[in-house]
Amino acid sequence: MDVATIQSVLGVYVVASPAVLLVLLGLSALLGVPMSERLIARLTQAAVVSGLLAAVVILALMLARDVRIVPVELGHWVVIPEQHFHFTLKFVFDRLSVPFVILTYVLCGTVGAFTTVYLHREPGYGRFFLLYALFLLGMIVTSVAGTIETLFAGWELVGLSSALLVAFFHERPAPVRNGLRVWGVYRVADAAFLVAAVALHHVTGGGDFQGLMGSGPWPAGQASMSQGAALFVGTLLVIAAAGKSALVPFCGWLPRAMEGPTPSSAVFYGALSVHLGAFLLLRISPILELSIWLSAAVIALGLITALFAAVAARVQTDIKSALAFASLTQVGIIVAEIGCGLRYVALAHIIGHACLRTLQLLRAPTLLHDYHQLENAIGSHLTHEPGRWERMVPERARTRLYRLALERGYLDSFLNEYVVRPFVLVFGWCDRLERCWTDWLAGGQSRESDRVPPPLEGMEDFT
Amino acid sequence: MTTHATSPPALPGGSVHADQFARLRQAIAHAAHLLPAQGPITAFIHHNTLHAFEDLPFEQAVKLGAKTFGCQPYLSEDRYRQEFARGRITREDLWSVLLDDLGDRAEGLIGCLGTRFHLRLAMLHYPLRTAPSAELRWLVAETDALQRFREETSPQVRHRAVEETRRWVMRDLRNGGGEEGATATRRIRDVLSALFDRFGKSSIEQWNDAKWEAFCLHLLWRICHQGVHGVERFTEPPTPPLRHRDVLLEATGEDTDRLVNDLLVRFCAAFLDQGFANWSLPGRDQGLFAAFDLLYRQRLAPPERWLRGLPRELERLRASGADPLESIAESLELLGVSASEEEEFIAQTLLSLRGWAGMIWQMETRSDRAVRPAPSGSLVEFLAARLILERLAVRHVARGSLGFDGPLEEVRKFARAAVPRHESVSVDQRAFLVFQLAQLLGWTPPELFRLSKPEWSRLVEEVEAFPPLERRRVFHLAYERRYRNRTLDAVAIHDRRRPPRTVAPRFQVMCCIDEREESFRRHLEESSPEVETFGTAGFFGVAMYYRGAADAHFAPLCPAVIKPRHYVLEEVVYTSEKSHRRRAKTRRALGTTSRRFHVGSRTFAGGALLAGLLGPLASVPLIARVLFPRLTARIRQTFGRFVRPPRATALQLERVDPEPGPTGGGIGYSLDEMAEIVERLLRETGLTADFARLVIVTGHGSSSLNNPHESAHDCGACGGGRGAPNARAFAQMANDPRVRARLARNGRTVPRHAVFVGAYHNTCDDGIAWFDLDRLPSSHKEDFAALSRLFEEARQRNAHERCRRFESAELALSPEAALRHVEGRAEDLAQTRPEYGHATNAICIVGRRSRTRGLFCDRRAFLTSYDPTQDDDECSILTGILQAVVPVCAGISLEYYFSFVDPTGWGCGTKLPHNISALLGVMDGAASDLRTGLPWQMVEVHEPVRLLMIVETIAEAMSGLMDRQPGIGGLCRHGWIQLAVLEPHTSEIQVFSNGRFEPHRPEAAELPEARSSADWYRGWRDHLDFASIAGAWATPARRSAPHSESEV
Repeated sequence: MDVATIQSVLGVYVVASPAVLLVLLGLSALLGVPMSERLIARLTQAAVVSGLLAAVVILALMLARDVRIVPVELGHWVVIPEQHFHFTLKFVFDRLSVPFVILTYVLCGTVGAFTTVYLHREPGYGRFFLLYALFLLGMIVTSVAGTIETLFAGWELVGLSSALLVAFFHERPAPVRNGLRVWGVYRVADAAFLVAAVALHHVTGGGDFQGLMGSGPWPAGQASMSQGAALFVGTLLVIAAAGKSALVPFCGWLPRAMEGPTPSSAVFYGALSVHLGAFLLLRISPILELSIWLSAAVIALGLITALFAAVAARVQTDIKSALAFASLTQVGIIVAEIGCGLRYVALAHIIGHACLRTLQLLRAPTLLHDYHQLENAIGSHLTHEPGRWERMVPERARTRLYRLALERGYLDSFLNEYVVRPFVLVFGWCDRLERCWTDWLAGGQSRESDRVPPPLEGMEDFT
Repeated sequence: MTTHATSPPALPGGSVHADQFARLRQAIAHAAHLLPAQGPITAFIHHNTLHAFEDLPFEQAVKLGAKTFGCQPYLSEDRYRQEFARGRITREDLWSVLLDDLGDRAEGLIGCLGTRFHLRLAMLHYPLRTAPSAELRWLVAETDALQRFREETSPQVRHRAVEETRRWVMRDLRNGGGEEGATATRRIRDVLSALFDRFGKSSIEQWNDAKWEAFCLHLLWRICHQGVHGVERFTEPPTPPLRHRDVLLEATGEDTDRLVNDLLVRFCAAFLDQGFANWSLPGRDQGLFAAFDLLYRQRLAPPERWLRGLPRELERLRASGADPLESIAESLELLGVSASEEEEFIAQTLLSLRGWAGMIWQMETRSDRAVRPAPSGSLVEFLAARLILERLAVRHVARGSLGFDGPLEEVRKFARAAVPRHESVSVDQRAFLVFQLAQLLGWTPPELFRLSKPEWSRLVEEVEAFPPLERRRVFHLAYERRYRNRTLDAVAIHDRRRPPRTVAPRFQVMCCIDEREESFRRHLEESSPEVETFGTAGFFGVAMYYRGAADAHFAPLCPAVIKPRHYVLEEVVYTSEKSHRRRAKTRRALGTTSRRFHVGSRTFAGGALLAGLLGPLASVPLIARVLFPRLTARIRQTFGRFVRPPRATALQLERVDPEPGPTGGGIGYSLDEMAEIVERLLRETGLTADFARLVIVTGHGSSSLNNPHESAHDCGACGGGRGAPNARAFAQMANDPRVRARLARNGRTVPRHAVFVGAYHNTCDDGIAWFDLDRLPSSHKEDFAALSRLFEEARQRNAHERCRRFESAELALSPEAALRHVEGRAEDLAQTRPEYGHATNAICIVGRRSRTRGLFCDRRAFLTSYDPTQDDDECSILTGILQAVVPVCAGISLEYYFSFVDPTGWGCGTKLPHNISALLGVMDGAASDLRTGLPWQMVEVHEPVRLLMIVETIAEAMSGLMDRQPGIGGLCRHGWIQLAVLEPHTSEIQVFSNGRFEPHRPEAAELPEARSSADWYRGWRDHLDFASIAGAWATPARRSAPHSESEV
């Protein structure tokens, strides 16, 4: 067996190990044979550690042999010759995906170990790890995707597991509502992504990044498409990235996503999931390069997000929201860096930021303990003197800015009012139209459900 | 909002409204009383969750509380039935409680169907199913409810019912006959003909048993249905909701509170923030309403539809010059709330965001406990702001979802009209209850058929007089009765069994009364017969504001009810002064850097710099702390040693100035005060003679990571603080020769050989720290070496016993491994149960330890030392003890009770999504009401029973004490705690029930005996029964203790 084969096998293993974990946990849930906490923890541990080892060995081999790209092709899965369409499963290990895979495994592994203790005796223990496996698989597939359709598949898995983890405590209404919100935003982003993928196929005749970016391995690739096409596809992909990374105007979902258990907030929103948009932009950076307008838009988007989030973070009074906006600040900066073409800087920034934020989020419940220690060390209560910037802003404007920050930039309100509401109105109108039509056809009331009153007799329990 | 905001009614003003304002103020004060009384979470003080209803008897109070707060008063019926099934509640308990509860009415007959007692017993034994009518109809039609008898029905009963039906049908009914009156015959004939059609009358002779059973049940169901039809209503119809929000929620499914609370949560957190956010709320210093006004008056606002009228409304209020109270009056008027509804409406409105409203009230009334308190009147201002928002939200929902655009005051009427309310009771539900009872109690169809309408009416009334809530109450009483009887039996038997004492004490250990110290003391006693232990409230009578060498502020260390007068400072000894100053400087530098790092990482540039440069380094502590918590903690401690204040410190305990104060000569106590403290404590604990060579005073506390509720594990008698300084101060006072001289003058000689040593027990990692060992006389070094070995042994065993409760610890752990395990827990970032705190607490024993020494109480008993033979006739010592012990223990017990029976209602739910907000408390997830009470992870192993106080005294003395002390008497008389007395000279026990003491009738004759605690608890996770531990029996001799006559 030559080294290339070994690399391919390892490459498949990197993706297969979370997939096997997902299948095992999923089957146990599906067949109604619950596993013990210990078994779940062991399986997760085994999957993560072996996957990480495989990734590290690939890295070592690549370094030793000075290979910059290792493609692993699993063939065409769907081929429609008339439409010139083929769904190709292809993984690529290069300078972008290998660090990202290792980062994912390290952080997910740490958080997994944390969670096995943190969620001990929680009824949703198995469910959490099922979603965790789903998330891990999604992250890995996204990271090593060699074609845009493979990336999309991973992207969807991450979206699904994130929304379900936000709604983890489904016995309370708030997590479910916020989970739905996350899901809604992801839908918009995914729609943009899907259109972009189709367009890319149309333009380049395939979704393979290698074909798309020319011959050079990342980050040296040169995209070969017209500027107009690049602008179109790029814009759609930027929208997709903005939804996933909670950039303006989709920021509203990030603080809302802090509904799940602390470790899921940490790894999913603080560290990995939120960087996925930035990762996508890195992956398609050759396209961004083609259009100066697109690059400018990405820089602007990043900077606006970063500035907004930095201001919002200053007024948050709870630790998790404060950390969410702090994360967002850095993601904004990272996106701006990508817009500037600083790809390695952005990659390093992502890795550093992810580690730092995971630690901070896992420590979030220790805040009071830490504050107490800091107070004792410093010898006084911790107060905030108004900073330089604050003193410069006139009083009136400061109040306005404060409210803007406290209400999270009104971004949710804007979306509600100018996107959601028109949608609801249009569909309400359609519904009324349909009712008229069916009533006319039925010659009377056509909907039985209208006549059924909700059961109101309460189950008296207290009286 | 527009139409009515622009034409508001004349603003109330002048003396005509003085009455109304006074009334409103009173209503708000009343409502404030209902709000959760939990202060900042950093100093967690356990208190009765239902403190607002403490002047009512317990059973009434929980019922009222459940209604007011929408929470569960007891465990669920199913839960109690499970306890019954596994023998935690026995048949005798149910019988006894039910008989007591019914009194003379127990034997009342219900028609010819049996006694009331049997009916209720059956309703307790068997789960009665009920459901909405639609579901019941489905159940009857689609399940085998009418095919087969319930499986609990005995074969005999089933056989009799089927046979009688068969005979009745075959003999009397088949051919249309029957001895009944004409109408009754017609009724049954209709039913029968329908049934015959269904079952095939022609083949009736060939029907098999199954068919007859089904026929019998069909007949029974129809007879029940006919019987309950037309029976009047006995219970009050549910009152229609009062708040607009509830009415609208029923009518539209839209929740106005969601809109209002969403905004108010953010605003309240910003207003109350104790310094977390970098920017504080503009205008905060001008008060809540002013800040609200300033923030929301701006024109540049989000396009939030329901909030559109807000700037204009605030503008208008400002122009009219209305103060918050006037605004409340106006809002109530606009909403159409009548004067009679006002009080209830205000209470419900404030309770709809009870956590934050309660915190505002706490910050306003207990401003001494907060860094940034709220100005007085904040709650009124909060209500004013809330009502303005509610008006807008109600208007928005009424218009949007109900299409109602009329005046606000008519919204409720309009919305109620939109929802038809069922005033009558459901026939199906009633019939189904009787139908099930008939199967269980063997009421046959012919018997029921013969009941007249008034008899049916009585039957239904009887059944409905014992609703689920009543059943749960009876179950709960039975649940408590079992534990009470077991405890009292065990105490009495153990006391009788106790062998005579032989060994003189060499060591005396004073601990806190805390039930977590019960096991620690037991293990100490087991490890050597030379150890004698005492329990006393863990502040050891030293109520003080204390500031350690490394602390920033003075913090109170005493029960929450006491406001200390004295200040005590820890100082580094002179020789280490220099290194202390250097280290303090280093600490400050490190602290400042660390803070910059924390804050900086959340900013724009600082965050980028830190994340980019230092971010990857964060993976090291991240992985290390998660995977190797104990090792990481060790390493951190090793490095921490370089910056910690030098170990050689001393308390500045002696005061120079005449008056105490926080600075200079005002710090400390005068010698007379010290003597008083020492004398008082020795008298209370009964340690007045036979002093051992070493007397250890052990304070306790708990340290854990990633735990916002950390302070709830600390010493309750120190007001959620750690009792180490108190123990240290006490030992120092008691060792002072001048103090001893003063004691001797009062006739309380402490011999020269007795040396006091302060110690600290960490209940989380079972660590022990000693204080001021440098001052230990060399004559006692050897004793101390022996003692510290005992302590080492005891803490391992204690850790071992604790580990049996932790599911993540193997049952087979060795004591050494157990100690390592609990040490790891305390340092684990991921650990949500560093310890179980006060969970399982159930008993409080006030009396001589010699009477309970060796009794295995499973860490469930608060143990207070008290020697009744040294007390006077007025029980002045006991009074002093109970004044401190009862509020603390009852508070802990009741808080655990409520947080367990309704973990999300009274407690704060699971810890997993908790999010620290404003440095004051926790929210669920991203934004929610401030959650008060205890988290599920703290209470999950608890058994919700009311505290059982066992006091060693005579019944008359206790009655007198309860009369003189209304606080203590009230708690006992109203049943918030259970009370029993143990006679000082015999093993007789009297139980306080129904307002008087009655002799306890023992149920058990035996109490198991085990060689050691470990022998008894080994291998068990669940609650354990009492046992005598023979290993602890060789109790030290007390020559002067005059209770030798009680020995067997």
